[in-house]
Amino acid sequence: MYGRVIGVTVVGVRGHRVAVEAHIGRGLPSLALTGMPGAAVQDARGRVRAAVEGSGLEWPLRRIVVNLSPGNLRKDGPGLDLPVAMSVLAASRQVPVERLGRYAFAGEVSLEGGLVSTPGVLSVALAAAGAGLEGVVVPASNGAEAALVEGLHVVAATTLSEAVGFARGSWSPPEIERADPTAPPSGVDFSEVRGQGQARRALEVAAAGGHNVLMVGSPGAGKTMLARRFATIMPSLSREETLEVTQLHSVAGLLATGELVGGRPFRAPHHSASVAGLLGGGSGFLRPGEVSLAHHGVLFLDELTEFRRDAIEGLRQPLEDGRVVITRIGGAVEFPSRFTLVAAANPCPCGFDGDPRRACRCDEHRRQIYRSKLSGPLVDRIDIRLGIPRLSKAELLGEAPGESSDAIRIRVEEARERQRRRYRGGGVTCNGQLPGPVARREARLTTDAERLLARAVDSFALTGRGFDRALKVARTVADLVGEDRVRPEHLAEALSYRGTGDGSLARAG
Amino acid sequence: MPVDRGVARSREPPPRGWPQGFANGAANRKALAVMASLRGILPREVHALAWREGSARACLDEIKAGRAGSDADREWAARIAPERVEAAAGACGARMLTPEEEEYPPRLVDLDDPPAALFVRGRNLEELVPRIGVVGARNCSPAGREFAIEVGSGLGAAGVCVVSGAARGVDSAAHQGSLRAGGTTIAVLGSGIDVAYPRGSRRMLEDILESGSIVSEYAPGVPAEPFRFPARNRIVAGLSEAVVVVEGIGRSGSLITAEHALEIGRSVFAVPGPVTSELAEAPLALIRDGATMIRGVADLLADLGYDDPMPGARRLPLGLSDTERLVLETLAGRVVPSTLVDSTGLAFPEVMATLLSLELRGLARNVGGRFERSGHAP
Repeated sequence: MYGRVIGVTVVGVRGHRVAVEAHIGRGLPSLALTGMPGAAVQDARGRVRAAVEGSGLEWPLRRIVVNLSPGNLRKDGPGLDLPVAMSVLAASRQVPVERLGRYAFAGEVSLEGGLVSTPGVLSVALAAAGAGLEGVVVPASNGAEAALVEGLHVVAATTLSEAVGFARGSWSPPEIERADPTAPPSGVDFSEVRGQGQARRALEVAAAGGHNVLMVGSPGAGKTMLARRFATIMPSLSREETLEVTQLHSVAGLLATGELVGGRPFRAPHHSASVAGLLGGGSGFLRPGEVSLAHHGVLFLDELTEFRRDAIEGLRQPLEDGRVVITRIGGAVEFPSRFTLVAAANPCPCGFDGDPRRACRCDEHRRQIYRSKLSGPLVDRIDIRLGIPRLSKAELLGEAPGESSDAIRIRVEEARERQRRRYRGGGVTCNGQLPGPVARREARLTTDAERLLARAVDSFALTGRGFDRALKVARTVADLVGEDRVRPEHLAEALSYRGTGDGSLARAG
Repeated sequence: MPVDRGVARSREPPPRGWPQGFANGAANRKALAVMASLRGILPREVHALAWREGSARACLDEIKAGRAGSDADREWAARIAPERVEAAAGACGARMLTPEEEEYPPRLVDLDDPPAALFVRGRNLEELVPRIGVVGARNCSPAGREFAIEVGSGLGAAGVCVVSGAARGVDSAAHQGSLRAGGTTIAVLGSGIDVAYPRGSRRMLEDILESGSIVSEYAPGVPAEPFRFPARNRIVAGLSEAVVVVEGIGRSGSLITAEHALEIGRSVFAVPGPVTSELAEAPLALIRDGATMIRGVADLLADLGYDDPMPGARRLPLGLSDTERLVLETLAGRVVPSTLVDSTGLAFPEVMATLLSLELRGLARNVGGRFERSGHAP
């Protein structure tokens, strides 16, 4: 007796269609899984039998072989429980085969026959749609996620018996609300930032051009507070971006029941994070790292100098390519990781270098070692470097509260739109992604601005990279006001975010 | 060149300055325009001739008659139209100063051989005071260049006008240092007022014109030739209250300038170098002869009496815009930009842009998001 069901396994973020075939033959009662099942799939053997019996169905007491095809693809994750169960039920003629060929099944089963929330369901749904299937049968708690895929019939079942009922035509699933994901209120807003006029403005520029940011300042200056609010002024996610982000968070198992990712992600890994935690990996089932969970959002690295050196080095590829490639025996897996980096650091080991009200206790030698950590290939890729002063009470109260995130975001979105139009078809969408030579071509400086740049190269001893960074940021400042040419005042602002070449960013000047 | 036909007769050296009425009136002015275009007769000869003949016109008549200057001068003098000279000067934005004019620098008459006419582009020379000359080797060392920039910016920030010869090396470094600090500077050319020499200096000369001036005793079109550079150096010395020699080999133009300066009673400062260095020959020789040794711009400012820490507009460098002046005056201690917004009444972006241009001039700097004054500004 033979039965066949369509399942999906997730590799990286991509779902791959898997044919789950069951054969029931003579022999001692047993269940064998073939076709490169991973550890989590092997676990299914025990769970599936209990779930079938717990649902009031019959488990065939014969020799059962379940094959997962294609055989050269390693399958992992608990999502194959449901198709394995369905294939056995189909082989034993407990469910009819008509509907089985048109739906993909995914979900982990519990011993009593319930369907529990499963990571990667959005990837499953996308693969099903891509394979031209009519719909998917998934756990009810993952229904909203699967419903993000348009034109796909989502059957959200709470138990295995409901899934069986659907196959038999005796149970019809409830209609799923195709909720448009809206930005969940993140609870923070830019208007809460007092003082720090320069930093507020710089973050607006960073959001408008997709530039990475480094903030250097004493403890308590407000670096973390600013970073948390940065995601709220970034442009709203497009539908496509929402799908990508939700897919990643789904694969990582981070989606709370029935909830979608609506706003830009903000990820703030601790500096003790492992390389695998930051970049992705892990044994067996590959989990996206923090860089991928921050895809289309903000990766905030507080205390940048405390991060492990190999972790910092590893950030170069995701920053440049917008993706992480993890190479394994079974092949390379890719996770997207196009994030905006916001890094923060103290100006010196004790944290008070340059503070007017507290003396720095570090000797020059230690300060230099520290500063050397604030330079190098990663910091080279940061366009905007800011000193964040610790404000006195008078300075805090002296300034009017700033604009709300919504007001800033309108300007940011307009500037992004101008960049998208300009770079259409060029493989980049914003100034922050421009390679140096392209930046030099696209900056379009006025003659006056060129003269200012020449003076700045001289006076500030700008390096080639520093030169390109200034051009990119100046281009964004001009885009924020809708100017076609970069004027001297735009360039001047960009230059004020330059830091210095020797890594002594605290003493930018 | 037939030398001193007329001058040889008078044994006594001519008095300082110019005879009464030498350049008075349109006819004399025209004569000076013609004489400025002659290439044979030396300024020293013109000066002596002036005291013998009394007026510029009479001097020109002597040249035309062949009793002064070279034969080529005689031919040229007959052919040159004075209107054309002044028109050519006007075309490149220059004006011709005769000793009659207010703007003609009075200090120049200290020279034995002052220029009978001076072409000027840019600011009125009367505004560009006090003036200090900075000279040195064209083939200077990198350290010499750095030092010249430091001297130039130190003087510029202290509101002192830097006078130099626009040549490669120390000269242009001094000019650039001054410009960088937002100071004023005068470039004295060894070629016609409209000739940018060396050719790479064109951009710098344009920058100089924005706040300072370019000066030459040669009419438009006179090409740059090495024999004119010592003559140019005497004008650098003449315009300045004191001269700083940064680097120079023995018997070089720098040494000549310093000797000119000593002859006419200017202080000379010299920057020492290793005795084994060829480039230290001129400054070390000067120090041995009594020039004041300086180790840095602070020494120079102290000796000149420009280092009193008196705050206020008088000491602010020239060439600042109104907003730059306002922000710099308000900048006290280490403050965040918003404090400046409050105290100046300027808008935030304007304050930021102004702070950056002050940074470019080395007058302010950013310390971890706060700004303070820097450099040699008080």
